[in-house]
Amino acid sequence: MEKNGKTAIPGMNYIKRNIGTLGGLLILVIIVSISTPKFLTGSNILNLFKSNSVNAIISCGMLLAILMGEIDISVGSTVGLTGIVGAYLITNAGLPVPVTVVLVLALGALVGLINGIAISYLQVPAFVATLATQCIGRGLTEIISGGVTIRVRNEAYTSLGNSTFGGISVIIIYAAIVLIFTWFLLNRTRFGYYIYALGGNKTAASYSGVDVRKFNMLPYVLIGLYCGLGGLIWSARLGSAAATLGSGFEMDAIAAVVIGGTSMSGGVGTVGGTFIGILIIGVITNGLNLMGINSFWQDVFKGIIIMAAVVLDVFRKSRSQKN
Amino acid sequence: MSKPKLLEMSGITKAFGTNVVLEGVNLSVDRGEVVALLGENGAGKSTLIKILGGIYKADAGEIRIDGEQKNISTSKIAGENGIRIIHQEIVLMPDRTIADNVYLGRELRNKLGMVDEKLMQEETQKVIDDLQINLRADQRVGDLTMGMQQLVEIIKAVSADARIVVMDEPTSSLSQREAEILFGIIRLLQEKKVGIIYISHRMEELFEITDRIVVLRDGVIVGDVKTKEAEKDSLIHMMVGRELDSYYTKNSHEVKDVALEVKDLSHSKYFKNASFRVKYGEIVGFAGLVGAGRTELMKTIFGAYQKSGGAVFLNGQQEEIRKPREAIRKGIAYVSEDRRGEGLILKNDVKFNMGLVSLSDYVNGIHVKNSAWDQMVENYRQKFSIKITSSKQLTGNLSGGNQQKIVLSKWLAADPKVIILDEPTRGIDVGAKAEIYAIIDELAAKGVAIIMVSSELTEIINMCNRCYVMCEGRITGELDETEFSQESMMRLMTKTEVKGES
Repeated sequence: MEKNGKTAIPGMNYIKRNIGTLGGLLILVIIVSISTPKFLTGSNILNLFKSNSVNAIISCGMLLAILMGEIDISVGSTVGLTGIVGAYLITNAGLPVPVTVVLVLALGALVGLINGIAISYLQVPAFVATLATQCIGRGLTEIISGGVTIRVRNEAYTSLGNSTFGGISVIIIYAAIVLIFTWFLLNRTRFGYYIYALGGNKTAASYSGVDVRKFNMLPYVLIGLYCGLGGLIWSARLGSAAATLGSGFEMDAIAAVVIGGTSMSGGVGTVGGTFIGILIIGVITNGLNLMGINSFWQDVFKGIIIMAAVVLDVFRKSRSQKN
Repeated sequence: MSKPKLLEMSGITKAFGTNVVLEGVNLSVDRGEVVALLGENGAGKSTLIKILGGIYKADAGEIRIDGEQKNISTSKIAGENGIRIIHQEIVLMPDRTIADNVYLGRELRNKLGMVDEKLMQEETQKVIDDLQINLRADQRVGDLTMGMQQLVEIIKAVSADARIVVMDEPTSSLSQREAEILFGIIRLLQEKKVGIIYISHRMEELFEITDRIVVLRDGVIVGDVKTKEAEKDSLIHMMVGRELDSYYTKNSHEVKDVALEVKDLSHSKYFKNASFRVKYGEIVGFAGLVGAGRTELMKTIFGAYQKSGGAVFLNGQQEEIRKPREAIRKGIAYVSEDRRGEGLILKNDVKFNMGLVSLSDYVNGIHVKNSAWDQMVENYRQKFSIKITSSKQLTGNLSGGNQQKIVLSKWLAADPKVIILDEPTRGIDVGAKAEIYAIIDELAAKGVAIIMVSSELTEIINMCNRCYVMCEGRITGELDETEFSQESMMRLMTKTEVKGES
């Protein structure tokens, strides 16, 4: 491939495009570092990454849905369902680890497929379709768990979430792979171009020869797969799965995607921006934890940040339009 | 001294950053006068109108109404001063009645402070009757044709006691008949001493209804003439700033075998038993009123709509086309009449849009051939003289002419054999129109089979080799180049057949 003269400094475009969110992240980091010396330490940063890995994976999925101008609010419930099923298959059914992993991922993809078919082929609005599967998922999770926490003692299984690789938690590596994979998909494949096209204008995409139904459905399968991975990681990492697993995950994912500059009406947004959104959410949670502020206040701050990010974005856009 | 004019804008100057869009523009309108504002896209017309409407603030200059200086800083103040702007894109609530739309934002209330639906309908009906329009105030707006919806905007303006009405390309989506109704209303408004600023690219109608023509080019007034004394060629010259060697390009090309043949194609709702053929190297027109079924026929051939009967043949072979992507695979392109809604992805850049149809040429597996893609974009940019600063520019911000050239590039990059052009020059300025005619002619010369749906009869007469005329879902006639005339086409366009068969 030829080198493009304009991209002399790699990363420059990235910084330019995300200048607002990067600035916000920087300010947050500075405030938190001043407030607590425990923040800027190697072990804490690794811990921050680790505890936000599952959100990163799910946010990548959420980004796909929002890029299409839609949404998937079933992600948290799917994480819970797949996590419980994983724990159940290992502990209660005694299946071998590889089989369990495959079945859990397949279950996630199946939930995604149901979402995708409902949204794309049956024309159910995404919010409603995923609300329905969210309900179903939550109900099934309660039924399977019987209301009690399922413990996992199989070490081969728990090591999927607890082992380290060169000092770095394997969970961080999973998240990095998903981020890179999603970036690749969106920027280097027809699948990605079509997702942007769909989110921008479905009719124009269809008239340009895009198989709109297929490419509207497939991303949901991938989202489901990501959720399956999230469920696997959580149940392995905790060594147990409770019926409440994954609840509220959709909110953090939507927040990360929106803070990252993705347009809720679809067609505009990047993995890079979403990554910054994930970090912002992560720094707030981690920083406030270190400062000993309780989790209810964390929600309040998250809400304020989401509002501020979107208001700033709208402000910037309307200004650039007038000029 | 005579009475001051109704509206006087003088010395209006406006710049966005370093880009000067308007410079010392003077525009006046008197009571009962219709003034045409003419200019290519990008000449500054819409900026000027937005200043009048209180959306933009001028850097310099003043606006006087009845001789009194006004500071029109918001659209609300503009409304209070009797200024109404009817935009090209209709902004109405489709699920509400005409009366609800007319009184939106200034609902009439009864003594209890509740919205008085009945009174609003009565008042609206008075205006409708006054303008001699065949509508009822309680009709749902979404049930009306595009043309009639345009009239609702005018009813709205009149009902709000507008004194100065600006119409931005009001006829671009109107059929000839609807346009006639509009012209009638304009004359009625004139009698009521309303001043009208009329923006349009259709020269013929300017001569029909305006009193004066003001020409804007690159933000400066370059001409202000009485319509009676104006000449089409000199107006075009003023607008473009250069001679157009010829407006239409029509060379004779070799016409070869039949490319596309349609036999008894029917749609359950829109058209019936359409049969026609197009040969390679031929430009075939489709004339008709809006709603005659031309667009629907084309979309059915393209696979966007489903047929209820009949057959489509390509190169003599019957083809079943159920989806646009199957049509594209067989070499058919469809340039939609709705450029912004169906042609482009406005949130995306030029490069993205141009590559969308032929994407598999540039993105294969995980390999993105950026240099080939950029090369394609650059080729078309030069070839069609598309005015963009970078291939990363968003298509939503470009002028109509440039957008249309991008849509054409997108299709030509996929190398189609049959191109269906649906209103290819709608809402495009004169200069870009001439360029698009040249492109169409060149395509025909290369042996592409071209279908051109157009509501401008002069366009069909000057560009096509043959044409079909449709009326109410039927092809009512076929005319050869030698038989072309406005009269012959109009007759076929309004030919309602005896509805015996069904």
